[in-house]
Amino acid sequence: MSKRQLAMVMDLNKCIGCQTCTVACKTQWTNRNGREYMYWNNVETYPGTGYPKNWMELGGGFDAAGDLQPGVIPNLEADYGVPWDYNYESLMGGMADSNTFHPHVSPTWGPNWDEDQGAGAFPQDNYFFYLPRICNHCTNPGCLSACPRDAIFKREEDGVVLVDLDRCQGYRYCIAGCPYKKIYFNPKISKSEKCILCFPRIEQGLPPACAQQCVGRIRFVGFLDDEESQVYKLVHKYKVAIGLRSDYGTQPNVYYIPPTESPAKFDAEGKIIEGSTRLPIEELEKLFGPAVHDSIKTLKAEMKKRKETGVSELMDLLIAYQHSDMFRLDNNYYQQVAKENKRNPLAPVDTRYIAGKFTKAGGHH
Amino acid sequence: MKKLLTTILSLGVAASAALAGDLSLTAVKVSDKLDTVSADSALWSKAKFSTVDLYPQTAIEFNDKEAIEANKANKGKKVQVAALHNGSEIAVLVKWADGSKNVQGIKCTDTYSDGFALQFAGSTKKAQPLPYIGMGSEGRPVVVHLQKATEKVYEPNGNKDVSTQINRQQTGVFGKELAEYDAKVASLANTDFERVFVGEGFRSLTEIKDKSVKSNASMKYENKGWTGTLVRPLKDDYISASGTLPVAIAVWDGAKHGRNGLKLLSSWVAINLEGSKANNAVVAEATEVSKGDAVKGKLAAETNGCAGCHQIDKSAPAGTMAPSLVNIGGYSTAAYLRESILKPSAVVVPGYNRNAHANTPWYTIEKGKRVSTMTDYSFLDKGTVDDIVAYLKTLKVEVE
Repeated sequence: MSKRQLAMVMDLNKCIGCQTCTVACKTQWTNRNGREYMYWNNVETYPGTGYPKNWMELGGGFDAAGDLQPGVIPNLEADYGVPWDYNYESLMGGMADSNTFHPHVSPTWGPNWDEDQGAGAFPQDNYFFYLPRICNHCTNPGCLSACPRDAIFKREEDGVVLVDLDRCQGYRYCIAGCPYKKIYFNPKISKSEKCILCFPRIEQGLPPACAQQCVGRIRFVGFLDDEESQVYKLVHKYKVAIGLRSDYGTQPNVYYIPPTESPAKFDAEGKIIEGSTRLPIEELEKLFGPAVHDSIKTLKAEMKKRKETGVSELMDLLIAYQHSDMFRLDNNYYQQVAKENKRNPLAPVDTRYIAGKFTKAGGHH
Repeated sequence: MKKLLTTILSLGVAASAALAGDLSLTAVKVSDKLDTVSADSALWSKAKFSTVDLYPQTAIEFNDKEAIEANKANKGKKVQVAALHNGSEIAVLVKWADGSKNVQGIKCTDTYSDGFALQFAGSTKKAQPLPYIGMGSEGRPVVVHLQKATEKVYEPNGNKDVSTQINRQQTGVFGKELAEYDAKVASLANTDFERVFVGEGFRSLTEIKDKSVKSNASMKYENKGWTGTLVRPLKDDYISASGTLPVAIAVWDGAKHGRNGLKLLSSWVAINLEGSKANNAVVAEATEVSKGDAVKGKLAAETNGCAGCHQIDKSAPAGTMAPSLVNIGGYSTAAYLRESILKPSAVVVPGYNRNAHANTPWYTIEKGKRVSTMTDYSFLDKGTVDDIVAYLKTLKVEVE
């Protein structure tokens, strides 16, 4: 158990599926061979196949008794999709084998393959919403429990879940153990890699790239024990932000404000069915559990209150007037940790991610 | 005639049962240099080949659904082992059948490679009993040489150091310069997956990356089988062999998603160095056949409630309270089994959350050490313990 826990809240009512977060993360962190196919952050259309394909059916997580469940390791080509490139060089250099623009492989699958498909029949009752996903930096991580090498650890300072790249030998039980399939195998270096919650940015007081670049301003970041933070208020005070698939028993630390508003259905004559909503509550229950009812109730009540009285702290929070207000990151805290550990405050607080425990320096214990 | 044949057959079975997995073999002394020995070396014609049985390691069930399915009907396997030494180096050859050549692809996330490992008991003042066969045990280290079949891997700095891996997109070079960069990367690419580890108990296995072990391992696939060879010094910072060298052998089958604990493993094998005085204590421990009565031992195990926590019968579900004993007789020495009954905390297999969750731990942590929750059975008389050990030694699957 870490001393403090960083958390993120994503307001799904505001996500427009623009993939800016995906691009911000991808360009920031695809800095090593073998990471090309990995999307540490992705935004999928729900309902949909997701990324990797059918991730919700691939197992992992814990059962009610606390036993880790077996899972399936996705296949790069079939389940993630091979990252394809185009024949830019031959076209630009005028040495084209053909004069058409084409990918270097015939893609059969990729992230967002089923973008905006959703469910239902258009225009009567079709619906979908966007679901951005990153590593949940769980309090009880399935990946950590599954690792026989003790290569995954949760940082004491902030609960960020990292892979010790020196200890990792590429066994991939972590991937089977993570119910969100948010840990990836790098086949080039034969080690697991994952979202690091942009900890080198966090330690300098900057939000993760996905959160800072988000044009919909859907993401809040802060410490769960900081009662002034938005994440504390949304998760604990108002209880409107809920973990994704909490039934897996991993206690995720990325929380979601469930989508509350959806259009009404049309009947056979094209007339609105009063009181109907296209978004089935069962789907939201599947993702967020029974707590979604109270969350939606609170959100609607606060919206009403705001309309009637003009006052609602919750609505003010969710509107997020100032982008900078969405992130309460304690740069001084990290500087203090660095000082206590006699480290350079500009260097990462925990070097295990970068250097690992080398034989001579760390010993075998 | 039929009766005679049956007798011969049963004698054969009895003889192989007595020998299987409880072997000592001889490293033939040669005067040649061994550092370049490979599977094709003519020197192996001088060696004496012995058969060693390897059993599926099943103490823990891992959480990979497809791997569990692929290993469900797993049997033991016979491997041929030979060794040579020249007074300063030892070369070991392991030959085993494998119907499919599996090489870890660099463009795939769910394939696994074939491989083999040789484990040596590390230097320690207290030689007996031998370390736990898996990862060694506290105060009784092991050195593990691992060789896997891999494709050419891009490792631009050639040092297996992941912190300086650079993507070609981020080199800041274009066109001709990028082509030159690619050529340089290809020239530095690493084709070999050879690793050396030191371990003193589960979760302690640490790769030795400072080049303090001078070894050379290689694998060759032909005629539906692998031949793996390893050459290493008889003495270095980690092992100190004189007379007899305890070795354990493991092989991985990529087709069955083998890696880590999903492997076939031998018990300790004592390799006597020809021309040196054998270490009789090590030979005795590796080859000990329990004097107890297995039938009485089975009854004693039932009376003392072993099956309450341990999985003994393969048809029972994997235990959440203790390691599985389904193949324990295949890869454990009688000494280890006796020690585990009398001092359960001497070696504690940590278990992973899949098998030992927070509500039913099979060990607790006291002063930083794993303490087993198993009852200390030192109150049992010596005869009963011997009987239980004899019974546990019978727990192993069939060898194909």
